[in-house]
Amino acid sequence: MSAAKRVQQWATFARTWHIFDCKWQDPYLSANVIKKYLMGMHKPIYHPMNDCGDVVVCINSRDIALRGDDWRQRAYFHHTGYPGGASWTLAWEVHNKDPTMIIKKAVYRSMKGNLQRRHTMQRMLIYPGEEVPEDIMQNVTNQIRQLRPVPTRLDHIPEDEVKKYPKVMEYPEDYVLK
Amino acid sequence: MAFIRRYLPLVTGGFKNVYIGGQRKEIHRYVAPTLMVLKRREDKQGGKVIKPRNTFLEWNLEAEMYAFGKRLNENFDPDLLLQAFTDRSYVIKEEMKQKEMEFDIQMKDNRNLAEEGRKFMKQYIQLYLEAALPKFPIEGINGICDHLMSENVLANVSLHLGTKDIILADEYPVDNTTLANAFVAIVGALLHSSGEEQTAHFVRDFVITNLQGQDVNEFWHIEEPWIMLTDLIAKTGSNLEPRLIGEVGKNTLLACYRVGLYLDKKMLSSGFGETIATAKEMAAREALKKIFGTEENQYPINFKLNGIPKSSSKSRYQVSAS
Repeated sequence: MSAAKRVQQWATFARTWHIFDCKWQDPYLSANVIKKYLMGMHKPIYHPMNDCGDVVVCINSRDIALRGDDWRQRAYFHHTGYPGGASWTLAWEVHNKDPTMIIKKAVYRSMKGNLQRRHTMQRMLIYPGEEVPEDIMQNVTNQIRQLRPVPTRLDHIPEDEVKKYPKVMEYPEDYVLK
Repeated sequence: MAFIRRYLPLVTGGFKNVYIGGQRKEIHRYVAPTLMVLKRREDKQGGKVIKPRNTFLEWNLEAEMYAFGKRLNENFDPDLLLQAFTDRSYVIKEEMKQKEMEFDIQMKDNRNLAEEGRKFMKQYIQLYLEAALPKFPIEGINGICDHLMSENVLANVSLHLGTKDIILADEYPVDNTTLANAFVAIVGALLHSSGEEQTAHFVRDFVITNLQGQDVNEFWHIEEPWIMLTDLIAKTGSNLEPRLIGEVGKNTLLACYRVGLYLDKKMLSSGFGETIATAKEMAAREALKKIFGTEENQYPINFKLNGIPKSSSKSRYQVSAS
């Protein structure tokens, strides 16, 4: 193999490091996006037998947003293997226990169950907050676009800015706010 | 095996409608052991013996040589062609034989023809490549020429033209040196029979076309591309600047860097590598390819140049001399 072909191969199979901000993102919809990068499905050279998957670093997994009433409704099932060993844990309980668990399970479930899945999962790094080790952050060269913009909450806007905002009407002085 | 396959339907014909579980057996149980025994007997005799085609009863050397010329659409002088096919080893063997039988017939071997043919081919290939790759330096052209004139390439061409059985040599099957030598001698014989232009087209069609689909840069190894490139650029007085334009997985084993070369702030080329130094070197190589007109996506080499191209060596630049 000539030198030119060797570096062409090297560049073709280089692993890119992506970062994904999970803040206010639906973990189950995000999983489908993250999965594509993890498995290398966004590359023209993709093939199931081809080791061309990238690395994805997920940050802010503590701030994911579940749909509707899912924090209370969704249950995660586990069985110890012993009789009576089944247990159902609610999403909010799982999230309190480990804030990286829900997004991890979502990505794991989005992939087909084969021998490659656990190795692919090794290429996913999840951090509950914004703090990522420096040596990992240095590898990151691409950002995956979020599925939806992070909304601004009214109570996060400074008070004087809210006061300055033009109003349609003032409440009467004797009006009782609930 | 062909014999077995041909008569198998007769043997199994009676069982045509009988289902024998899944696949139908096609080869009889006795075949494998029989073949094994045959192989063992053959090995005991000292391996498979390949009989030279020219020892067969109906072998007609004259007809074969005539057909050889006609197949190639060339008119050879029969005597010269016979001489081209006669290897030195065969002449020595025949002389020994004649000494024993005490008579003397002079035979000519192909050494002279080969020398003439080799000289012509070298000259022509050089001229042709200079015309086909106008920007490529003389060192690179020499590299390609050496590759085309190498024993392996010539032997391969010779073998596939069907010289293997016609060559007169003391051994069979003939080795690569003999094959290559015979081919070069055939070119020499053609040179005497049909003139230079016809021979040039023969060489073009059978030897130079071996470059099809090959990367010509691989035949010329540049030791220090960066120094060569800076020397070339220095003459024009432009400003060459390498920039790191991409990196991936910096702290990992699979780190990959991309370096771009900028000539007066315009991108000239880019190269990849596992370190920045390698990437820079590869970028320099890419730039040289661009300057020499031998990029990956270049237009294919023209194999249809007619006649013998005129020499342009004087106007051609040499990289090492400058």
